[in-house]
Amino acid sequence: MADKKINLTLKVWRQRGPKEKGEFKTYEAKNVSTDESFLEMLDQVNENLVKKGEDPIVFDHDCREGICGSCGFMINGDAHGPQKSTTVCQLHMRAFKDGEVLTLEPWRATAFPIQKDLMVDRSALDRIVQSGGFITANTGSAQDANSILIPKTKADEAFESATCIGCGACVASCKNAAAHLFTSAKISHLALLPQGEVEAERRALRMVAQMDAEGFGACTSTGACSASCPKDISLTNIARMNREYLKASINRKEESGGGGDG
Amino acid sequence: MASNFDSRIPGGPLDSKWTQHKFNMKLVNPANKRKHSVIVVGTGLAGASAAASMGELGYQVKAFCVHESPRRAHSVAAQGGINAAKNYQNDGDSIFRLFYDTVKGGDFRAREANVYRLAQLSVDIIDQAVAQGVPLAREYGGLLANRSFGGAQVSRTFYARGQTGQQLLLGAYSGMMRQVDGGNVQLYSRREMLDLVMIDGKARGIIVRNLLTGEIESHEADCVVMCTGGYSNVFFLSTNAMACAVTAAWRAHKRGAYFANPCFTQIHPTCIPVHGDLQSKLTLMSESLRNDGRVWVPKNKGDKRAAKDIPEAERDYYLERIYPSFGNLAPRDIASRQAKFRCDEGRGVGETGQAVYLDFSDAIKRLGRDKIAERYGNLFQMYEKITGENPYETPMKIYPAPHYTMGGLWVDYNLMSTIPGLFVAGEANFSDHGANRLGASALMQGLADGYFVVPYTVSDYIANNKVEKVSTSHEAFKAAAEGVRAEISKLMSVKGTRTVDSFHKELGRLMWEHCGMSRNEKGLKEALVQIPKLREAFWSDVRIPGDANEINTELEKACRVADFIELGELMCRDALERKESCGGHFRDEYQTPDNEALRDDQNFCHVAAWEWKGASQPPVRHQEELKFENIKLSARSYK
Amino acid sequence: MLNFLTSTVGKKYLMGASALVWVGFVFAHMAGNLLMFVSPDAYNAYGHALTSGMIIYVAETGLILALLTHVFLGIQLTLQNRAARPQRYAAAGSRSKGAVFASRTMAIHGTIILIFLVSHLITFKFGTYYETTVNGVVMRDLYRLLVEIFAQPVYVIWYVISLVLLGFHLSHGVGSMFQSFGLLHPTYQPVIRKLSWTYAIVVVAGFLAQPIVVFFIANEGR
Repeated sequence: MADKKINLTLKVWRQRGPKEKGEFKTYEAKNVSTDESFLEMLDQVNENLVKKGEDPIVFDHDCREGICGSCGFMINGDAHGPQKSTTVCQLHMRAFKDGEVLTLEPWRATAFPIQKDLMVDRSALDRIVQSGGFITANTGSAQDANSILIPKTKADEAFESATCIGCGACVASCKNAAAHLFTSAKISHLALLPQGEVEAERRALRMVAQMDAEGFGACTSTGACSASCPKDISLTNIARMNREYLKASINRKEESGGGGDG
Repeated sequence: MASNFDSRIPGGPLDSKWTQHKFNMKLVNPANKRKHSVIVVGTGLAGASAAASMGELGYQVKAFCVHESPRRAHSVAAQGGINAAKNYQNDGDSIFRLFYDTVKGGDFRAREANVYRLAQLSVDIIDQAVAQGVPLAREYGGLLANRSFGGAQVSRTFYARGQTGQQLLLGAYSGMMRQVDGGNVQLYSRREMLDLVMIDGKARGIIVRNLLTGEIESHEADCVVMCTGGYSNVFFLSTNAMACAVTAAWRAHKRGAYFANPCFTQIHPTCIPVHGDLQSKLTLMSESLRNDGRVWVPKNKGDKRAAKDIPEAERDYYLERIYPSFGNLAPRDIASRQAKFRCDEGRGVGETGQAVYLDFSDAIKRLGRDKIAERYGNLFQMYEKITGENPYETPMKIYPAPHYTMGGLWVDYNLMSTIPGLFVAGEANFSDHGANRLGASALMQGLADGYFVVPYTVSDYIANNKVEKVSTSHEAFKAAAEGVRAEISKLMSVKGTRTVDSFHKELGRLMWEHCGMSRNEKGLKEALVQIPKLREAFWSDVRIPGDANEINTELEKACRVADFIELGELMCRDALERKESCGGHFRDEYQTPDNEALRDDQNFCHVAAWEWKGASQPPVRHQEELKFENIKLSARSYK
Repeated sequence: MLNFLTSTVGKKYLMGASALVWVGFVFAHMAGNLLMFVSPDAYNAYGHALTSGMIIYVAETGLILALLTHVFLGIQLTLQNRAARPQRYAAAGSRSKGAVFASRTMAIHGTIILIFLVSHLITFKFGTYYETTVNGVVMRDLYRLLVEIFAQPVYVIWYVISLVLLGFHLSHGVGSMFQSFGLLHPTYQPVIRKLSWTYAIVVVAGFLAQPIVVFFIANEGR
């Protein structure tokens, strides 16, 4: 880990609020250590902006270890930057060359309104989960954890789908701003497990309907979502969602009134 | 002293205390539950599980989180696993053994009754998680798999590769989102709690800042449950997420909630070492790695050869040497301290000499690279991304880093603080881990509190107290909101020259140096001189650009740092007063000849709970004596 | 079922199903064209046989319905997708993280192919009607028309460009169809991708053989 110093030029999207007009502004990032993470580089730029009394560049971030899904913006048109399987907080400056010009833009999608600068509102993804991305299992009602056997391969496959961090890179990189990869990962994760199979149909119907209602686009199978996914969520999830959705639509029965899930 | 400073441990034998207590608690009629409201602050494991469970019961729950989405709470980053006394491995585990290991691991500074309940509930958590679709690791036969963790000689840790926290949190989060869908939970995201509102001596609401608009909002309820996590970020560099803060807990403390054992902090032994001044956080490498990784340093001081060039005979596998029966799986406080000792001796490795090796070459030889990749693939990948080195080929370099705080708001057996109606769950309370937390026990505690304790005890509180409806137009709300506004405008009006981070870093250095892995009277006294100076400098020279009525990340940080500075002072005070070494609290003056922590059970077998007396007066230290009736107090040995 | 048909997932099923009709037709059409290399009579006789039964009306109705569905949904989805991303990025992404070229431009080559299709019908189906007699039966001499048309360089260039675009469209479309139908599976994914490309290349090569051969024979010795 030989640390080197590089200088960069940043063209950053600055936008004061959701309704205001935004524009690109240029900043110099000088003396950047290649051992720094990308966000630490931005911290450094912000530190200098604050010292000058200017507003720092706002971006979402929290755990800085690639798991909370808070961070994410476009670097030169790539969601989370040039490195595969990497969130922007895990992207380190050794991936860049001295003198590079980097364009930083927020995720752009109707369903992800910009809050400020590089920060967007991804609550649409929460509402998709809310519409059905769960198993109805009240606290205390569970049987012993080992009473239902799950083949290891099945459990592993469900886990792979469940590793989605909800960062929104799939939507950002899709030319249609579609949320099919996100939605299908959750549908797959639960549909693959015996516990989740029970309400798989209701889940598929409700989650797809919510996804469409949020104003995301349609999938045209370009594969950009999976290519830019920091957790390598596979396109086969979308295929599974499509199957589940077709099956559910064929079997569709109107939900009976009573009960509910309150 | 607050009349509420009573642990309320139920009578009767240890193994039936909780069952009996549950029976004795009052219930709220199902039809009446919807008339009662509960505020839950924080949506990590404890908060999300509490909100989901209470929503299921029918209460009107208002859940608050600082993040854009509740799924981003820092529980998501927990890697290794969750303990449960299932004894699926037939290796001699039991509820009593988990209880014993936890009390011993905590160096006998936790309540027996609480820890026993935790061990009992651990088995229900696994059942609940699996029912929710949490994809825990399985064997080929379809049964759940286990791994070993520090401080235990049984395999009782359930896991989902290196992402156990994420998977458990998504389970709790999905349960909560189901209640949002059903209308029983109302979600308030991007809100930060800045004050607790009390009416007639009871917690009745909170004041939050809407981080998007800057608006100061008031929210009322019948009671408040705080699940706001720990305060490791007082050290600036820690494994915690950037937004982790003590602010909510500290504001409650200032309203009368005692703060217990603030000096009990956990320094995790296996983290990626610091690389430079601009570093913003430290990254944990899961303790599970110590299942297969061997920790060593060169035997010769200042040996600068590459790891592969150091022959076997010149390596010191010091944990295996000193603790033959636990080896590399010695508890965290011990493993951290030993790493520090080795580096202090001048046998540390890497450019800075502040690191030790965690070596997988033997395990790769024994099990093959694929098996290791299956167990720890994502951790190895993360390590490589950060350091640019491939841990399959060269040993990892690791060093201890602040990770977890055992201290927190004092709570009784019902998880209620000294403020009636204020419950505290998860890492935010002090309850179950004593002076050191064992690996894979934080997830267990967060979920036990949220799923299985708080829903009962909150019901009991509501049934026993005739809480009258209040409105946010009540004087107390107005005054609290005004106080928050005044503080914010005071911060904004300083218009000094230094950034918030510069103060935070300075505080972090002071704390790490004087109240870190080892502490002594001189250093602590020094810190107690320096910290007030820092506080003064902060309030007279901090610079916050922008406006308070919009997204202002510097202002958010400033509010948090202001509280960290005050907390730091209390931590040092607490560390100074506790004239013994126990668990993570190591005083240089109190150690055995072979450098182990030397407890003083005569004088310090108690919880220290601090009462805030206002900015101008020193806090008052109260004691809750700890009684050990089921386990014999003994010197902790892992040899 | 209405919910299904108006959802983004359901629409893709319809896109795929309507495409499947044309995928079959295009292949058969290409294979029929190759009869030209057998003999002019064989070619004309094949055309005559196809058009002289009732089956042609059924087939044409099916094709038109499929085409209308495909085009209508294509336009609708494109508009929906544009609305989902009204503001484009200033910087174009890198190859490694982006999508395959063909997949990003489906609407563009789709439109050009539609224009080609109309012009193609005008040129051939509704073009000059020559007659010839094969084995005593009077029939349309499509072969003659074809030779005339493909002797013109402008038309050949237009034809070649359109067909290459059709190849692109198919190379993505066929694989995407499997995805939309929910038939994508990790084990078969590479096979499907290869199949998709092979199909596209065979179809395009088969179609292009005709104009290129005709053009060079017709213009020989000039």
